[in-house]
Amino acid sequence: MSTFSFDAVNLPPGVPEFRVAVREFLKRETAGIPPHRRINPWGVFDADFSRKLAAQGWVGMTWPKKYGGHERSAIERYVLLEELLAAGAPVGAHWIADRQSGPALLKYGSEEQRQKYLPGMARGELYCCIGMSEPNAGSDLASVRTRAEKLPDGRWKINGQKVWTTQAHRCRLMIALIRTGGYDEKAKQVGLSQFLLELDTPGISVRPIVDLVGESHFCEVFFQDAIVPAQCILGEEGDGWKQCTGELSLERSGPERYMSSIAVYLEFVKAAGPGPVDSVRQALGKVAADIWSLRQMSLSVAGQLAAGKDPAIEAAIVKDLGNSFEQSLPTLVQTLTDAGLDLAQHSDLAKTLGALLQISPSFSLRGGTREILRGIIARGLGLR
Amino acid sequence: MSDLSQMLGESVQRLFGDHADAAAAAQREGWQARLWQQTQELGLTLTLVSEDQGGISGTWEDAYAVLHPAGFHQIPLPLAENMLAARLCSRAGFALLQGITSVSPYCEGALRTDGSELLFRGQVRAVPWGRHSEAVLTALDHQGHLQLLLLPLAAARIVEGVNLAGEPRDTLHFEACRPLGIAPAQEREARQLLEHCALMRLPQIVGCLESALVRSIQYATERKQFGRAIGQFQAVQQQLALFGADVAAVACAVKAACRAASTGDALFQISAAKLRANQAIGLATASAHQVHAAIGFTGDHPLHHATQRLWSWRSEWGNDRFWSERLGTMVALRGADHFWSDLTARDDESAGHA
Repeated sequence: MSTFSFDAVNLPPGVPEFRVAVREFLKRETAGIPPHRRINPWGVFDADFSRKLAAQGWVGMTWPKKYGGHERSAIERYVLLEELLAAGAPVGAHWIADRQSGPALLKYGSEEQRQKYLPGMARGELYCCIGMSEPNAGSDLASVRTRAEKLPDGRWKINGQKVWTTQAHRCRLMIALIRTGGYDEKAKQVGLSQFLLELDTPGISVRPIVDLVGESHFCEVFFQDAIVPAQCILGEEGDGWKQCTGELSLERSGPERYMSSIAVYLEFVKAAGPGPVDSVRQALGKVAADIWSLRQMSLSVAGQLAAGKDPAIEAAIVKDLGNSFEQSLPTLVQTLTDAGLDLAQHSDLAKTLGALLQISPSFSLRGGTREILRGIIARGLGLR
Repeated sequence: MSDLSQMLGESVQRLFGDHADAAAAAQREGWQARLWQQTQELGLTLTLVSEDQGGISGTWEDAYAVLHPAGFHQIPLPLAENMLAARLCSRAGFALLQGITSVSPYCEGALRTDGSELLFRGQVRAVPWGRHSEAVLTALDHQGHLQLLLLPLAAARIVEGVNLAGEPRDTLHFEACRPLGIAPAQEREARQLLEHCALMRLPQIVGCLESALVRSIQYATERKQFGRAIGQFQAVQQQLALFGADVAAVACAVKAACRAASTGDALFQISAAKLRANQAIGLATASAHQVHAAIGFTGDHPLHHATQRLWSWRSEWGNDRFWSERLGTMVALRGADHFWSDLTARDDESAGHA
């Protein structure tokens, strides 16, 4: 009768002690970061921080020791992630490798690929990006046209273009979704493969794109007769669609899908003081209830993933509700701040709010648009 | 889910599934005595009473397993009320009554000494099924100490009221009433009576929301316009997706609150879950009626049994303003530096316990 599964998760013993250790590290290492640089922390690239975190054993922490991992539990990793995000730590450099690329290698990679790349990722030195979107393949991802042609000697020749590739200009490795078979409009998901590509390969060029606040965090990536070895294929040739959609539960349910704006809430609580007016008190309470509810949902999905399930629809729900929530926070704070907050002033609250108002529209675009997610949820309800 | 929850859930599901028209029957005929008797025979009101006192030593998670199907089928009985009252009576040392014991935290009045006795004068408001009850359990501050009172309906003047779904919500006036039981409020549930009244309603809200959702999906797949089922249109799909996601959020929050209440203080979790549920009710009832269009607006269609309950329950035991101010006060007083650590500590406290 329950439509979706969100049973409560039992936190394993040792979590409180681990949390304390993470907080002590973060207190030391993030002390100088101003509040407006603590928003959307997984979009902030800082290689030094990633190396320091890795030195604690906190990058690739669930991976096997033989690949540089530490064989900690998935729930401990969840605790680490939420602490990093709550503190606004600059985790953007290694985030994709830790969340997605490393696990993809563990699941589909050859022994050689694992040994080649995983230890560098776990040291916080080898960063990855995701080559999915193309100029004409956004929400309709299966329309990708970038092609890999098999040469007589078994190598691949790649032509095409990826776009909106986060941090590609600072990464060594891309996991790309590329067409290796024919293109059939009626069966677009067939004939796709995943490739592990080193971005310094001749024929691959990366061009950063300036976003609306003047920063460059995503890129165009061009492939012009780029020749790569046969062993660059990840998993099975032709299984690209299945492999890449299998990552989506990992990608969509994490704490980063509801915590991107938490810094502005904390600044707002600070500014409100211990006895705010009724309207502010109500808003503080409503947000607290929302954060608590979303955290319970996100934790529940983490528990299911840790138990080896694939709660794809539940993950889509966490992302959709979480994105709407993290987008609503800046607007809520803006409408409630006393006497109109001057966004040109230099208070921590004003700067945090100003930055978030501008970047928050991206929250419901990255990792699957709101409309696509709701289509997935509707399918889960039996409507498609 | 524990074995006990599963067993309870299955037997309750069988019983209430056979009485899916009970809400309509109650509107026509009033009190559903036979169905109440069947819930008694299953011992459902004793879910939260310990085994040595004749109950089944269930937790709030077990209570969820019983009350969720009651909400799903809109069972018009004071099951949740009697379940909470029986727990508190048994813990306070009051004899469990044969008849219905209802509960309400809204008590105004005073106790006065008459010889060796204490007599209550005042009123208890918003008592669910008060007129059908043998007694009502409430709490009152007496000389600086919160006292749990069990008041007999025989001594009450009843002013009848009903909520939007026609469920009795009566005000009981007492002149010089000798309580059937009086004891200091020691149990957490007694000291936080309003919160636990909200908690007992929450699984019913989840069930009721799910029933409105299931009906809406069913209707959207059957009803055809422009040559196809309306559920095939993206506009309808997106609306139902939002509805489904919000129902899932409430179900998750309520289960988490029940679990917290089973192991320790759950003041924050209950407050947050009731507020989250209240907010979902707005979207859920609007979406359900939008999808059902005119047919769902008729007296014959069963949708209103769910939506009228949801509209009422949003106000009962604390509306949005009440709970958001309560939570906002907690957050503001603790300050920004404690917000995140408080939030995580609530779950970390039970780390390592199955």
